[in-house]
Amino acid sequence: MVEINLNRRQFLKLTGATAATLAVVELGFNEKEVHASTKEFKIAKTTVTPTICCYCGVGCGILVHTNDETVVYTEGDPDNPINEGKLCSKGTTLRQLYTSEKRLTKPLYRAPGSEKWEEKSWDWMYDTIAKRVKETRDKTFVHKENGITVNKTETIASLGGAALDNEETYLLAKLMRGLGVTYIEHQARI
Amino acid sequence: MATKYVKYVDVTKCDGCRACMVACKNWNDLPAEPQDFLGSMQSHANVTADTWNVLTFVEHENSKGNLDYLFRHSSCFHCTDAACEKVCPENAISYTDKGMVVVDQEVCVGCGYCEQNCPFDVIHLKTYKDENGKEYRKAHKCTMCTDRLDEGLQPACVTTCHTGAMEFGEKDEIISKAEKRVKEIKERYPNAQVYNPQGVGGTHTIYVLAEKPSVYGLPENPKVPTSAVLWKDYAQPIGKAMVGGVAMALAGAFVANKFFDKKNGGQEEDGGGNHE
Amino acid sequence: MTNHWNDLQHTDVAMIIGANPAENHPISFRWLLKARERGGKIISVDPRFTRSSAQADLYSPLRSGTDIAFIGGMINYTLQNNLFHKEYVAKYTNASFIVKKSFKFDDGLFSGFDEATSSYDKTQWAFETDKDGKPLRDEKLENPRSVFQLMKKHYSRYDAETVSTVTGSPKEDFLKVCELFCSTGKAGKAGTIMYAMGTTQHTVGTQNVRSYAMLQLLLGNIGLPGGGVNALRGESNVQGSTDFALLWGDLPGYIGAPKAIPEHATLEAFLEKETPKAGYWSNKPKFVVSLLKAWYGPNATKDNEFAYQMLPKGNKNYSHISLFNAMYKGELEGTFLFGQNPVVGGPNAGKEKESLSNLKWMVAVDLWETETSSFWQKEAGSDPSTIATEVFLLPASSSFEKEGSVTNSSRWMQYRWKAIDSRGEAKADLEIIHILATKIKELYKNESTPAAQPIKALHWEYGHGDHPDIDIVCKEINGYDYKTGKQVPGFGALMDDGSTCSGNWIYSGFYPEEGNNRSKSRDSKNTDGGTNFLNWSYAWPANRRILYNRASADPSGKPWSEERAVINWDASQKKWVGNDIPDFVPTKAPTDEGGTNPFIMLGDGVAGMFVPTLNDGPFPEHYEPFESPVPNVFSSVEMNPTVKVWDGDFNKKGNYKDFPIVATTYRVSEHWQSGSMTRNQEWLSELVAHMYVEISEELAKEKGIKNKDKIVVSSARGDVTAYAMVTKRFKPYKLNGGTIHHIGMPWHFGYKGYATGDTANRLTPHIGDANTMIPEYKAFLCNVRRA
Repeated sequence: MVEINLNRRQFLKLTGATAATLAVVELGFNEKEVHASTKEFKIAKTTVTPTICCYCGVGCGILVHTNDETVVYTEGDPDNPINEGKLCSKGTTLRQLYTSEKRLTKPLYRAPGSEKWEEKSWDWMYDTIAKRVKETRDKTFVHKENGITVNKTETIASLGGAALDNEETYLLAKLMRGLGVTYIEHQARI
Repeated sequence: MATKYVKYVDVTKCDGCRACMVACKNWNDLPAEPQDFLGSMQSHANVTADTWNVLTFVEHENSKGNLDYLFRHSSCFHCTDAACEKVCPENAISYTDKGMVVVDQEVCVGCGYCEQNCPFDVIHLKTYKDENGKEYRKAHKCTMCTDRLDEGLQPACVTTCHTGAMEFGEKDEIISKAEKRVKEIKERYPNAQVYNPQGVGGTHTIYVLAEKPSVYGLPENPKVPTSAVLWKDYAQPIGKAMVGGVAMALAGAFVANKFFDKKNGGQEEDGGGNHE
Repeated sequence: MTNHWNDLQHTDVAMIIGANPAENHPISFRWLLKARERGGKIISVDPRFTRSSAQADLYSPLRSGTDIAFIGGMINYTLQNNLFHKEYVAKYTNASFIVKKSFKFDDGLFSGFDEATSSYDKTQWAFETDKDGKPLRDEKLENPRSVFQLMKKHYSRYDAETVSTVTGSPKEDFLKVCELFCSTGKAGKAGTIMYAMGTTQHTVGTQNVRSYAMLQLLLGNIGLPGGGVNALRGESNVQGSTDFALLWGDLPGYIGAPKAIPEHATLEAFLEKETPKAGYWSNKPKFVVSLLKAWYGPNATKDNEFAYQMLPKGNKNYSHISLFNAMYKGELEGTFLFGQNPVVGGPNAGKEKESLSNLKWMVAVDLWETETSSFWQKEAGSDPSTIATEVFLLPASSSFEKEGSVTNSSRWMQYRWKAIDSRGEAKADLEIIHILATKIKELYKNESTPAAQPIKALHWEYGHGDHPDIDIVCKEINGYDYKTGKQVPGFGALMDDGSTCSGNWIYSGFYPEEGNNRSKSRDSKNTDGGTNFLNWSYAWPANRRILYNRASADPSGKPWSEERAVINWDASQKKWVGNDIPDFVPTKAPTDEGGTNPFIMLGDGVAGMFVPTLNDGPFPEHYEPFESPVPNVFSSVEMNPTVKVWDGDFNKKGNYKDFPIVATTYRVSEHWQSGSMTRNQEWLSELVAHMYVEISEELAKEKGIKNKDKIVVSSARGDVTAYAMVTKRFKPYKLNGGTIHHIGMPWHFGYKGYATGDTANRLTPHIGDANTMIPEYKAFLCNVRRA
């Protein structure tokens, strides 16, 4: 588990550790003062988890504030030396990656010739995909070429992965090469 | 008097990333409002009741004949003498102990005088429907993240700004910082200046501008409309002394209508926008 | 990046060319503006005045596709005005090497060109060597056959007048850039070059980068703080996914994948052929065998060549363009897509979409329904009844709904912890890949066909249950001793006898037996290493932050200047010390054999001014793009002669008569790549809600276009309709023979999501760089009219 799991007080201290905020705190803002509003402070009871932004290659640190149900706020991680708590517009909105109504939430299948998606179970998807891979592979696998053992499957391609974690890209490369796939490409090319 | 804090916006350090715009929406849970294409990178023509700050984009050929691409974080100025506060017949608009101008939507009746009289056009009404389908309106604008200030945190827009274009701090220090910065950039931006208009008693957002205010669509010398001063500082107290609360509200609405309804030939003075 | 984001604050001059970091890497500007507070300057060279240009001290326009002309001119300026760092150039680069007489250059072609194959016989570019095979050198740089003198001659043709004529950069702007940037050639000064896809997405992309490297080497700007050639990577883990070889030509750690050639027929032959005799790559057999042990585990033994034969061996180029060409011809049956959206992001995207309907099946793993996974829908302009492709769309977890590490542009490997359970039924890619591997292996369990062998041999043990144990994956990447199971301390401990495994040697050391997974290191307060933050995250290789940092010191081991010190030789301790991990053998003294060779990955130990291994020549030479509005001024060779030109209707070529306007594509701060991540979010969609095309006031007037009008942009491949954004930030270009208009547009849009619009890549050509096959998105011809 990550070593920073901040409650709100710690969080304030943390933010206060950056020079700019520190000045404000020291200049007499009363932390205990509660605004007359009946609304609870937005991040009063959130769990804070550090992450790294999923967009460009700068690698800014972001704190994700969650409650039991959802992501309530995202902001720069002041401890991360790359961005020191600052973010651009994309990093700032990380929250909506979770909350967007457009997120896919179920596996979807489109049959040949069909006009629509159908919801399917994960098990069905995994089993069917594995079968398709095997059918294609068995039919087109090349064992030898001009006397050289080549063990390749040139009829399957793997595209993408620049947004995956290292551990995922490692397993993906291992699986695809293991299957004999040669058409392995991702966003670094385009 | 308590120490005064202000937001500092040095537009010459802004790189136009617009994190301030979304940080505001993210903290304040404001909805997106799709806009028509405006012909530039600017997303909204102006701030609205659901978009409390807008980054403006101006392509400007400067006095040396070079192209400047000018960005400005545009939001409520939190005037020291706020016209919106003066004209509000319901006293729904008030100053916080830190000098920020805030609207109490529980009290607001949606009359719109604040919107009509704001010299910067940064307070706007949002229309809601009640359960019977009846429409009602409330005024909204930047709160300077008063809830965050009360917890010792800076406004969300300032917190996210990566270039140092925005800071939050003690007023006198910020003003001297702004003046120093203007001297530093005079060579590159001969028209650079601090924008902290005195016609509204100074503001709680202090700008360093690279160009004359008008280049950014800002009034050169904004003032609280005389009518608003008359109303708040003379008519309303007299009225209050003369009649009870309920009658006051009614009378207020009547008087305010007469004074402030600019659209129907009311007051016209240097209180508003040459920034359309 | 040779350096890193925080290091930008130390630069004296940053030249941004082929990049727009204020918009695409905004936080980099935090560090550039800090550099400016210290007196640093920023230069922006771009076809269009961008948000980066707005913050620059100096801006020069540049017609898209003419970087080599511009930088070649800067190289010439440096040489003619003696602004280069002479000792650095003489000692740390191959400028002193003597080139064989067979090397020649004449009218745009280097010696050895074969027209029939569009390729060079590179042996004609070899160095003269002594009897031991070591290159002959003239460190005075006076020999007319020295690289230095050949380079000087080559770039003498790139005078300011010619450069201006070709690039359209006003001569005075060009010279101002030269004067400012070349001021960093002095010891104690450092300049950095920041680039991105504006550099690489050309038929001369590799040579564009080469030209930057040459300029930086001349100025002695590599290896020191505030210097370097810095590629700004555009995706959170495009660095890591490249390191882990999601590219056809590589195995993890930049080990070239074996090919179906006799020299690669056995492991022994492969290692013999591919292992250099000198430089750090002489250790390659240790990395290859350790990788095979990681992949094939107990099934990799000394007797079976460590399962080397299980690896696929290709016989052609399998890059993105080739892949879609093969798909178009019906040669592919199935395709996996992990968060990639080629119907928006691919070159000649309209054709790439057509190609997809030739697939039997597609598996798309994504957070969203994209234009690619939905290519069969009516809204995509398809007739579903005629498309037989089965599509499996699997919902993936977002980056903070799972845990794992990503490697940023600075090569810093940072861990992301899980903040919340996945949305709906979404699952982590790690789990999806794991279960698919397990299921496929299960199907082959009882078979012994040739197809079954490799997948059965693949060692796949990542714990029990559906979700693999990421810690086991991490240990396998780092590597461990196969007998004791103890993790190795770093790649120095890897062996070629099968006693160690490591899934990616360059990462070996991030998870040593003693201590934690160092990608989880979060100490930014301890200032070991100063702004190098050695206790924050882990930077490959070996936690080094500034690559080639041996070059920050002079041959004797003393920093060129105290203010630019990184490491220095400490004679009393007999080791290199400083604020970074030495990119050098830590105990190799300057007086030792090779002690003054800072570029340890290269066989000669010095950097290449002259690179005899690239497909298109040892020196970068200007050629016009595939589609160009003007003839090449430098020679009679129009386009890079070694580029593969694809035939058929996949790559129609437009000419100047029909398409007289130069176009380029780019991105904005508020959207990301093909837009599937950002157009599906409301706040970002609100900020940039519409597809637009930026055109100059002059072109608008000529075409009768008003701001906000709907216009049609057409190329030989297709057309798009979008709003006109009439701007002062594009200006017509004055080139040899007249005025050329230049336009540009974002490529983020498609028809899905909240913010929708036509896809710019329907216009772009299906042609790529001569070395990398990266598509030429950034310079093509078009025409414009009112809709």
